[in-house]
Amino acid sequence: MQRGNLEAAAARYTYLRGLFGIPLGVLIILVALVNWGACPLWAFPGAVAAAGAACLPIARYYNANYGRITPSAGQQARGAVAAVIGVAVLAGVWLLLRGRADWSLDLPVNAFAVAWALFMLISCAIYVGFRAHHVIIWGALLVAGALPVWHGEDPTSIGLVLAGAAVMMSGVFDHRLLVRTFGPPGPLDREDSDVGA
Amino acid sequence: MSEPRDELILDRLIHEPGRLAILTVLSSVRDADFVFLQRATGLTKGNLSSHLTKLEEAGLVEIEKRFVRKKPNTNVTLTAAGRQRIAHHWDQLERLRNLSSMPAEQ
Repeated sequence: MQRGNLEAAAARYTYLRGLFGIPLGVLIILVALVNWGACPLWAFPGAVAAAGAACLPIARYYNANYGRITPSAGQQARGAVAAVIGVAVLAGVWLLLRGRADWSLDLPVNAFAVAWALFMLISCAIYVGFRAHHVIIWGALLVAGALPVWHGEDPTSIGLVLAGAAVMMSGVFDHRLLVRTFGPPGPLDREDSDVGA
Repeated sequence: MSEPRDELILDRLIHEPGRLAILTVLSSVRDADFVFLQRATGLTKGNLSSHLTKLEEAGLVEIEKRFVRKKPNTNVTLTAAGRQRIAHHWDQLERLRNLSSMPAEQ
Protein backbone atom coordinates (compact mmCIF):
# COMPACT_ATOMS: atom_id res chain seq x y z
CA MET A 1 0.00 0.00 0.00
CA GLN A 2 1.43 3.35 -1.04
CA ARG A 3 0.39 5.98 1.50
CA GLY A 4 1.55 8.85 -0.74
CA ASN A 5 -0.40 7.54 -3.75
CA LEU A 6 -3.66 7.27 -1.79
CA GLU A 7 -3.27 10.74 -0.27
CA ALA A 8 -2.24 12.35 -3.55
CA ALA A 9 -5.08 10.72 -5.50
CA ALA A 10 -7.63 12.04 -3.02
CA ALA A 11 -6.05 15.49 -2.88
CA ARG A 12 -5.86 15.85 -6.68
CA TYR A 13 -9.29 14.43 -7.53
CA THR A 14 -11.06 17.80 -7.77
CA TYR A 15 -8.44 19.21 -10.11
CA LEU A 16 -8.33 16.13 -12.33
CA ARG A 17 -12.00 16.44 -13.32
CA GLY A 18 -10.65 17.86 -16.57
CA LEU A 19 -13.76 17.71 -18.75
CA PHE A 20 -14.77 21.04 -17.17
CA GLY A 21 -11.90 22.49 -19.22
CA ILE A 22 -13.79 21.95 -22.48
CA PRO A 23 -16.64 24.48 -21.93
CA LEU A 24 -14.11 26.86 -20.34
CA GLY A 25 -11.81 26.58 -23.36
CA VAL A 26 -14.71 27.16 -25.76
CA LEU A 27 -15.67 30.26 -23.76
CA ILE A 28 -12.11 31.65 -23.95
CA ILE A 29 -12.05 31.12 -27.72
CA LEU A 30 -15.44 32.81 -27.99
CA VAL A 31 -13.96 35.92 -26.33
CA ALA A 32 -11.41 36.01 -29.17
CA LEU A 33 -14.19 35.69 -31.77
CA VAL A 34 -16.06 38.59 -30.14
CA ASN A 35 -12.82 40.65 -30.20
CA TRP A 36 -12.43 39.96 -33.91
CA GLY A 37 -16.05 40.87 -34.56
CA ALA A 38 -16.74 37.36 -35.84
CA CYS A 39 -19.34 36.89 -33.13
CA PRO A 40 -21.77 39.53 -31.82
CA LEU A 41 -21.20 40.75 -28.27
CA TRP A 42 -24.78 39.94 -27.26
CA ALA A 43 -24.06 36.26 -27.90
CA PHE A 44 -21.50 36.18 -25.10
CA PRO A 45 -23.88 36.09 -22.08
CA GLY A 46 -25.75 33.28 -23.82
CA ALA A 47 -22.48 31.43 -24.32
CA VAL A 48 -21.60 31.85 -20.63
CA ALA A 49 -25.01 30.40 -19.72
CA ALA A 50 -24.50 27.54 -22.21
CA ALA A 51 -21.04 26.80 -20.77
CA GLY A 52 -22.55 26.80 -17.27
CA ALA A 53 -25.30 24.45 -18.44
CA ALA A 54 -22.69 22.16 -20.05
CA CYS A 55 -20.94 21.90 -16.67
CA LEU A 56 -24.04 20.31 -15.06
CA PRO A 57 -23.93 16.98 -16.96
CA ILE A 58 -20.14 16.92 -16.52
CA ALA A 59 -20.54 17.33 -12.74
CA ARG A 60 -23.23 14.64 -12.75
CA TYR A 61 -20.95 12.28 -14.72
CA TYR A 62 -18.07 12.71 -12.26
CA ASN A 63 -20.30 12.48 -9.17
CA ALA A 64 -22.00 9.32 -10.42
CA ASN A 65 -18.86 7.54 -11.61
CA TYR A 66 -16.12 8.79 -9.31
CA GLY A 67 -17.95 10.19 -6.30
CA ARG A 68 -17.90 13.39 -4.30
CA ILE A 69 -15.33 14.79 -1.92
CA THR A 70 -14.87 18.01 0.00
CA PRO A 71 -11.20 19.02 -0.17
CA SER A 72 -9.36 19.40 3.12
CA ALA A 73 -8.92 22.87 4.63
CA GLY A 74 -5.25 22.79 3.59
CA GLN A 75 -6.15 21.93 0.00
CA GLN A 76 -8.77 24.71 -0.09
CA ALA A 77 -6.23 27.19 1.26
CA ARG A 78 -3.71 26.08 -1.39
CA GLY A 79 -6.38 26.60 -4.07
CA ALA A 80 -7.11 30.11 -2.81
CA VAL A 81 -3.41 31.00 -2.66
CA ALA A 82 -2.90 29.59 -6.19
CA ALA A 83 -5.83 31.65 -7.49
CA VAL A 84 -4.68 34.91 -5.87
CA ILE A 85 -1.04 34.56 -6.94
CA GLY A 86 -2.05 33.30 -10.39
CA VAL A 87 -4.42 36.21 -11.07
CA ALA A 88 -1.83 38.73 -9.82
CA VAL A 89 0.79 37.21 -12.14
CA LEU A 90 -1.69 37.07 -15.04
CA ALA A 91 -2.57 40.76 -14.73
CA GLY A 92 0.95 41.92 -13.85
CA VAL A 93 2.73 40.08 -16.66
CA TRP A 94 0.10 41.03 -19.22
CA LEU A 95 0.40 44.73 -18.37
CA LEU A 96 4.18 44.63 -18.02
CA LEU A 97 4.84 43.00 -21.38
CA ARG A 98 2.36 44.84 -23.55
CA GLY A 99 0.09 47.16 -21.63
CA ARG A 100 -0.89 50.78 -22.14
CA ALA A 101 0.82 51.94 -18.94
CA ASP A 102 3.99 54.06 -19.09
CA TRP A 103 5.99 51.36 -17.38
CA SER A 104 5.01 48.72 -19.91
CA LEU A 105 7.97 47.17 -21.76
CA ASP A 106 5.89 47.03 -24.96
CA LEU A 107 7.69 43.93 -26.23
CA PRO A 108 6.75 42.18 -29.49
CA VAL A 109 5.41 39.16 -27.59
CA ASN A 110 1.95 37.71 -27.09
CA ALA A 111 1.49 39.04 -23.57
CA PHE A 112 -1.81 37.26 -22.93
CA ALA A 113 -0.42 33.84 -23.97
CA VAL A 114 2.66 34.33 -21.75
CA ALA A 115 0.59 35.60 -18.81
CA TRP A 116 -1.99 32.79 -19.09
CA ALA A 117 0.74 30.11 -19.37
CA LEU A 118 2.44 31.48 -16.23
CA PHE A 119 -0.93 31.65 -14.43
CA MET A 120 -1.58 27.97 -15.19
CA LEU A 121 1.96 26.85 -14.36
CA ILE A 122 1.84 28.65 -11.00
CA SER A 123 -1.65 27.29 -10.24
CA CYS A 124 -0.58 23.73 -11.06
CA ALA A 125 2.62 24.04 -9.04
CA ILE A 126 0.82 25.29 -5.93
CA TYR A 127 -2.40 23.28 -6.13
CA VAL A 128 -1.60 19.85 -7.53
CA GLY A 129 2.05 19.71 -8.53
CA PHE A 130 3.26 19.41 -12.10
CA ARG A 131 2.43 16.49 -14.33
CA ALA A 132 4.26 15.96 -17.64
CA HIS A 133 1.33 17.18 -19.74
CA HIS A 134 1.08 20.42 -17.73
CA VAL A 135 4.72 21.23 -18.39
CA ILE A 136 4.42 20.37 -22.11
CA ILE A 137 1.13 22.21 -22.79
CA TRP A 138 1.70 25.32 -20.68
CA GLY A 139 5.42 25.36 -21.50
CA ALA A 140 4.59 25.30 -25.23
CA LEU A 141 2.11 28.17 -24.78
CA LEU A 142 4.70 30.14 -22.81
CA VAL A 143 7.37 29.65 -25.50
CA ALA A 144 4.94 30.44 -28.34
CA GLY A 145 3.84 33.62 -26.61
CA ALA A 146 7.36 34.71 -25.68
CA LEU A 147 8.77 34.41 -29.22
CA PRO A 148 9.50 37.98 -30.40
CA VAL A 149 7.44 37.63 -33.57
CA TRP A 150 4.21 39.29 -32.46
CA HIS A 151 4.70 42.67 -34.16
CA GLY A 152 1.92 44.92 -35.34
CA GLU A 153 -1.67 44.53 -34.22
CA ASP A 154 -2.51 43.55 -30.63
CA PRO A 155 -2.17 39.74 -30.65
CA THR A 156 -4.39 39.22 -27.58
CA SER A 157 -7.14 37.50 -29.58
CA ILE A 158 -4.71 34.94 -31.02
CA GLY A 159 -3.41 34.46 -27.47
CA LEU A 160 -6.97 33.79 -26.33
CA VAL A 161 -7.44 31.13 -29.03
CA LEU A 162 -4.15 29.46 -28.08
CA ALA A 163 -5.03 29.61 -24.36
CA GLY A 164 -8.53 28.21 -25.00
CA ALA A 165 -7.13 25.32 -27.03
CA ALA A 166 -4.52 24.67 -24.31
CA VAL A 167 -7.18 24.68 -21.57
CA MET A 168 -9.21 22.07 -23.48
CA MET A 169 -6.15 19.93 -24.21
CA SER A 170 -4.93 20.07 -20.62
CA GLY A 171 -8.45 19.19 -19.43
CA VAL A 172 -8.56 16.10 -21.65
CA PHE A 173 -5.16 14.95 -20.34
CA ASP A 174 -6.23 15.64 -16.73
CA HIS A 175 -9.34 13.53 -17.33
CA ARG A 176 -7.23 10.71 -18.82
CA LEU A 177 -5.03 10.84 -15.73
CA LEU A 178 -8.12 10.63 -13.51
CA VAL A 179 -9.33 7.55 -15.43
CA ARG A 180 -5.88 5.95 -15.14
CA THR A 181 -5.83 6.69 -11.39
CA PHE A 182 -9.38 5.68 -10.43
CA GLY A 183 -10.33 3.29 -13.23
CA PRO A 184 -12.68 3.57 -16.20
CA PRO A 185 -16.23 4.86 -15.60
CA GLY A 186 -18.91 2.26 -15.17
CA PRO A 187 -20.27 -0.16 -12.61
CA LEU A 188 -18.14 -0.52 -9.51
CA ASP A 189 -19.45 -3.86 -8.29
CA ARG A 190 -16.55 -6.21 -8.24
CA GLU A 191 -17.93 -8.73 -5.78
CA ASP A 192 -15.69 -11.44 -7.21
CA SER A 193 -12.67 -9.52 -5.93
CA ASP A 194 -11.10 -10.54 -2.65
CA VAL A 195 -9.47 -7.16 -2.00
CA GLY A 196 -9.67 -6.34 1.65
CA ALA A 197 -11.44 -9.58 2.53
CA MET B 1 18.52 4.19 24.97
CA SER B 2 16.00 2.18 22.91
CA GLU B 3 12.25 2.92 23.08
CA PRO B 4 10.07 0.48 25.02
CA ARG B 5 8.80 -2.34 22.77
CA ASP B 6 5.12 -1.90 23.67
CA GLU B 7 5.12 1.54 22.03
CA LEU B 8 5.55 -0.18 18.69
CA ILE B 9 2.48 -2.39 18.93
CA LEU B 10 0.38 -1.75 15.83
CA ASP B 11 -3.30 -0.90 16.03
CA ARG B 12 -4.96 -4.08 14.69
CA LEU B 13 -8.21 -2.34 13.82
CA ILE B 14 -6.42 0.15 11.60
CA HIS B 15 -3.66 -2.13 10.30
CA GLU B 16 -6.04 -4.20 8.15
CA PRO B 17 -5.19 -3.07 4.54
CA GLY B 18 -8.75 -2.11 3.57
CA ARG B 19 -9.34 -0.02 6.69
CA LEU B 20 -5.86 1.51 6.47
CA ALA B 21 -6.60 2.59 2.88
CA ILE B 22 -10.00 4.05 3.83
CA LEU B 23 -8.59 6.06 6.74
CA THR B 24 -5.59 7.23 4.69
CA VAL B 25 -7.85 8.52 1.92
CA LEU B 26 -10.16 10.21 4.45
CA SER B 27 -7.19 11.85 6.16
CA SER B 28 -6.41 13.84 3.01
CA VAL B 29 -9.94 15.21 2.42
CA ARG B 30 -12.59 16.84 4.61
CA ASP B 31 -15.18 14.21 3.64
CA ALA B 32 -15.80 11.71 0.85
CA ASP B 33 -18.77 9.68 -0.32
CA PHE B 34 -19.05 5.91 -0.70
CA VAL B 35 -18.44 5.94 -4.48
CA PHE B 36 -15.21 7.91 -4.12
CA LEU B 37 -13.96 5.64 -1.33
CA GLN B 38 -14.71 2.61 -3.46
CA ARG B 39 -12.82 4.15 -6.40
CA ALA B 40 -9.86 5.22 -4.30
CA THR B 41 -9.45 1.99 -2.34
CA GLY B 42 -10.55 -0.58 -4.96
CA LEU B 43 -12.72 -2.39 -2.38
CA THR B 44 -16.00 -4.10 -3.26
CA LYS B 45 -19.25 -2.55 -2.02
CA GLY B 46 -19.66 -5.33 0.56
CA ASN B 47 -16.11 -5.04 1.89
CA LEU B 48 -16.20 -1.26 2.02
CA SER B 49 -19.54 -1.30 3.79
CA SER B 50 -18.32 -3.82 6.35
CA HIS B 51 -15.08 -1.91 7.03
CA LEU B 52 -16.96 1.37 7.38
CA THR B 53 -19.32 -0.19 9.92
CA LYS B 54 -16.36 -1.39 12.01
CA LEU B 55 -14.68 2.02 11.79
CA GLU B 56 -17.92 3.78 12.76
CA GLU B 57 -18.41 1.44 15.74
CA ALA B 58 -14.87 2.27 16.87
CA GLY B 59 -15.65 6.00 16.63
CA LEU B 60 -13.06 6.62 13.91
CA VAL B 61 -15.46 7.78 11.19
CA GLU B 62 -18.88 9.39 11.02
CA ILE B 63 -21.32 8.15 8.41
CA GLU B 64 -24.11 10.36 7.15
CA LYS B 65 -26.79 8.84 4.94
CA ARG B 66 -28.48 11.53 2.87
CA PHE B 67 -30.26 12.12 -0.43
CA VAL B 68 -28.60 14.08 -3.23
CA ARG B 69 -30.92 14.81 -6.18
CA LYS B 70 -33.32 12.18 -4.81
CA LYS B 71 -30.62 9.50 -4.84
CA PRO B 72 -29.22 7.96 -1.65
CA ASN B 73 -25.69 9.09 -0.87
CA THR B 74 -23.44 7.92 1.95
CA ASN B 75 -20.97 10.52 3.13
CA VAL B 76 -18.05 9.63 5.39
CA THR B 77 -15.96 11.92 7.61
CA LEU B 78 -12.94 11.10 9.73
CA THR B 79 -13.50 11.95 13.41
CA ALA B 80 -10.86 13.76 15.46
CA ALA B 81 -10.04 10.43 17.14
CA GLY B 82 -9.77 8.76 13.74
CA ARG B 83 -7.44 11.47 12.46
CA GLN B 84 -5.23 11.07 15.52
CA ARG B 85 -5.20 7.25 15.32
CA ILE B 86 -4.32 7.07 11.61
CA ALA B 87 -1.55 9.68 12.00
CA HIS B 88 -0.14 7.75 14.98
CA HIS B 89 -0.39 4.47 13.07
CA TRP B 90 1.59 5.81 10.10
CA ASP B 91 4.18 7.19 12.55
CA GLN B 92 4.47 3.73 14.07
CA LEU B 93 4.92 2.13 10.65
CA GLU B 94 7.56 4.72 9.79
CA ARG B 95 9.40 4.00 13.05
CA LEU B 96 9.28 0.28 12.36
CA ARG B 97 10.71 0.84 8.90
CA ASN B 98 13.49 2.99 10.31
CA LEU B 99 14.27 0.37 12.97
CA SER B 100 14.42 -2.38 10.35
CA SER B 101 16.87 -0.37 8.27
CA MET B 102 19.21 0.26 11.25
CA PRO B 103 22.32 -1.95 11.40
CA ALA B 104 21.96 -4.85 13.87
CA GLU B 105 23.73 -4.44 17.25
CA GLN B 106 26.99 -6.37 17.47
